Amino acid sequence: MAEVTLEKLHKRYGDETAVESLDFTVHDGETLGVVGPSGCGKTTTLRMIAGFETPTDGVVRFDSEDVTHVPPEKRNVGLVFQSYALFNNMSVLANVAFGLKMEGVGKEERRERAQELLDMLGIGDLGDRSPESLSGGQQQRVGLARALAIEPDILLLDEPMTGLDAKLKTRLRTEMSNLLEELGVTALYVTHDQEEAMAMCDRIAVLNDGHIEQIGTPDTVYEQPANTFVANFIGTSNVLRGKANGDSVDLGFTRVQDERLEAVNGEATLIARPEAFDVDDDGFEAQVRDVHYLGERIQATAELPDGTDLTLKFDSFDRQVSADDVVSLALDLDDVHVVD
Amino acid sequence: MSSQTHETETFTAVATALIRPETEQERERRRIVVMCLPFFVLATFAAFIPLVVMARMSVSADQFENSGFSMEAWYTLATESVYLTVAWNTLWFATLATVASVIFGVGISHALEKYEFPFKGFVVSMISFPIALPGIVVAFMIIVLLGRQGLLTHTVAFFTGGSPLDIAVATTVFGLFCGYVYSLIPRSTMVLRGTYTEVNTDAEEAARALGAGSLRTFYHVTLPEIRPGVVAAFILTFRSALAIFGTVLVLQSLNVATLRIDREIAVGFNSQIAGAIGLIYFAFILAFTFVSLRFTETDVVEI
Amino acid sequence: MSEDVHDTAGGQGVVARIDGLIAGPTAKAVVLGMMVFVLLLLMVPIVFTFVASFAESAAGALPSGFFTLDNWRTVLGLGDYGVQTSVGPGLAFSAMLATGGMVLNIIIGVPIAYALTRYNFFARDWINAIAILPLVPGIILGVAFLRTYPENAGSALGLIVGYALLKSPYMVLTVQSSFQSMDLQQLEESSRSLGASWPRTFLTVIVPNAKDGIIAGSIICWTLAAAEFNFTYMVYARGPRPFSLFLFENISNAPYLQSAAAISVYFLIVVAAITVLQLVGNRGFSTSSDR
Repeated sequence: MAEVTLEKLHKRYGDETAVESLDFTVHDGETLGVVGPSGCGKTTTLRMIAGFETPTDGVVRFDSEDVTHVPPEKRNVGLVFQSYALFNNMSVLANVAFGLKMEGVGKEERRERAQELLDMLGIGDLGDRSPESLSGGQQQRVGLARALAIEPDILLLDEPMTGLDAKLKTRLRTEMSNLLEELGVTALYVTHDQEEAMAMCDRIAVLNDGHIEQIGTPDTVYEQPANTFVANFIGTSNVLRGKANGDSVDLGFTRVQDERLEAVNGEATLIARPEAFDVDDDGFEAQVRDVHYLGERIQATAELPDGTDLTLKFDSFDRQVSADDVVSLALDLDDVHVVD
Repeated sequence: MSSQTHETETFTAVATALIRPETEQERERRRIVVMCLPFFVLATFAAFIPLVVMARMSVSADQFENSGFSMEAWYTLATESVYLTVAWNTLWFATLATVASVIFGVGISHALEKYEFPFKGFVVSMISFPIALPGIVVAFMIIVLLGRQGLLTHTVAFFTGGSPLDIAVATTVFGLFCGYVYSLIPRSTMVLRGTYTEVNTDAEEAARALGAGSLRTFYHVTLPEIRPGVVAAFILTFRSALAIFGTVLVLQSLNVATLRIDREIAVGFNSQIAGAIGLIYFAFILAFTFVSLRFTETDVVEI
Repeated sequence: MSEDVHDTAGGQGVVARIDGLIAGPTAKAVVLGMMVFVLLLLMVPIVFTFVASFAESAAGALPSGFFTLDNWRTVLGLGDYGVQTSVGPGLAFSAMLATGGMVLNIIIGVPIAYALTRYNFFARDWINAIAILPLVPGIILGVAFLRTYPENAGSALGLIVGYALLKSPYMVLTVQSSFQSMDLQQLEESSRSLGASWPRTFLTVIVPNAKDGIIAGSIICWTLAAAEFNFTYMVYARGPRPFSLFLFENISNAPYLQSAAAISVYFLIVVAAITVLQLVGNRGFSTSSDR
């Protein structure tokens, strides 16, 4: 396994910029999630690390080695795709052993190692089958085993769970992240599903329009989003704005006082997760428009007198709110993040 | 994708990149060139060069080798009315046979796609069977049906009491038409079958639920959806119709371009005229194809 | 053309009126009837020819005097007429030529089919059109060959090259149809990330996965080349006589029943080809797979 570093990576197609000045490191043994809306450059980034796209500018390093111009087959990266891309002309075992065969590992040894990996993934009895005869979950495991067999410097996962049903997704997610940790694999996990990224990854990079908006641990990204894009992309947020004055800000519907505001000059942006609001008699009033039950929690949309909407979340056992209620709300400052 | 950088690159830069590529994009470009190369080598020696030589042949002064320059063949083509007749025969006959074959093709693919009946796979195979038959065998099939000893000839003779010799139509223009249709229906059907499988059945059912009858549903819903397939079938079938030779050679009932080329070579070895007809013919097919392809997508084209 | 062309009042009126006359079951009967009619038109002469090849006499309205193998003996060169009228040498020669053409078609067709399906590049659509549409009709190619290769046009090499060019669209289309059902990019990239060079990826992963399409394309090309007539007729001068010229000779000169037997030999080849095509997922002589 290795540490993978991107230095000032640019990729342009003609006039179009796909990726702009990417600068980050995937540390040895960590799983880095790359999330962002479609077209944000996450797949291009993955393909540049794999070697299928040559950057217009910048350097890709595996440990200290510059691999920018090394062709994919000489890079030692593992790839797992959404479509699994298994070789239907070979047995499951031969699929997993394929990379070792290319490395010149002897027949006996590569069969043994492939079998070990299949066992580890709980599909040890499928070695002789044709990939076509397997279920989606099994195929995904074979794809993972095949990529891991070459002990790659970095494992690249491109939306590997898309296409699986929700229940299987949750199970595979746990299994996969345990396995990656156990093997100490350096991995880059590309997904459009931020929830999946939060569950799977040690750190998350949020990409937008070809550049990184924020990179950090899942809780940092969630609780202290660097800007409104990150706040809106990761989970649901209420973005509140107002003119800062000393340590307080007037948001229109309420006034907030916090020492963090002292650093802000002029316009202040506060990000409040839906959980940051609670019903409180001394608060400000809002009219509940609609209520959705999400099992343990309820999500409500409430309209402020000035017409802006707030998204709220309560534990469903604690609170009873229903549409058209007028509620009094308070903002818990501990759960509010001030954007610098 | 990279048309702009592509244009500004000098020829040497492109050549160097092809021989010693550095980026993955350059390696991909080299791969594309390498993969297309075998085909173009064959096409060069088996089509491009021969066509150029044939063009030269049409203005050769000598009929046995390309030497000297003479426009006589072209002059003959332009002035002798027989060639106008040949061109006219070729076009109206191919058009008529194509239209008939496409109409039958639509009906057959409609039946294959919309209705359930046993041995469907077998039926498809049997309908495709004549694609494998050379034109001379197709001519024999027409003789078997409509010749002096033909099945249909004898059937009609039996009921009307006429003489089979008078009834046989294999070597008439109608017989030739049957031969054309015999080889073309399978082709048009195979092209149309491809598009038919992609017809949106929901829209058809919705139309029917709204009270439209079979014909109206077909006209308003199905036909617009299969239009690309119909156009493609027309293009391919028409091209095939123009290229038919063996059937005409055996049945001999209409003087079309392919037969005329053969006659020019066989009688008096008028190689210049044969070359000129061939060239016009090739240019016409080329122009027809590229103009008509603008009316459809290439991906519906099958044979 | 747009939708409103169809919605002109006149067209709609006529269609609606006819529609009122033809009820659903009638339409089905018409379409199925059309299919059965064509099926009969196509199959009756084929079956009849095959059956007639076992008859003794063609003098009456229908061939009579079943069952005899005389016609087949003559055609297969087992009769008293010797090898002069036998299909054997011609068929063997054509089989050899067709095999050569088929091998050439695999070599040129599979790579370009891959490039055209997998990559997007400059003038792709035009190159695609050149590769999937027959470039020149056989008879014209024949005339052009006569002058370009005066010594070799009708030689084995000339015939093989001509067949390869004439039949290449069938190979390209059939293999393309196979490639289109695969996720080429991800297959290629998986294999390369596992350390296989690009040529190795192509040969050990891509080609084996498209095996059915390549087999189907090969069978179609082989069968069509084995009986290619137009080009062969134009360029043939001397040497062993190809199968299609033997058929032509029979059709134009031989007794009716003997022609029937000669043609039936080819029918048997086509039936064998269709059977194998079914096994690899193609229905008959169609370039698209039904799987």
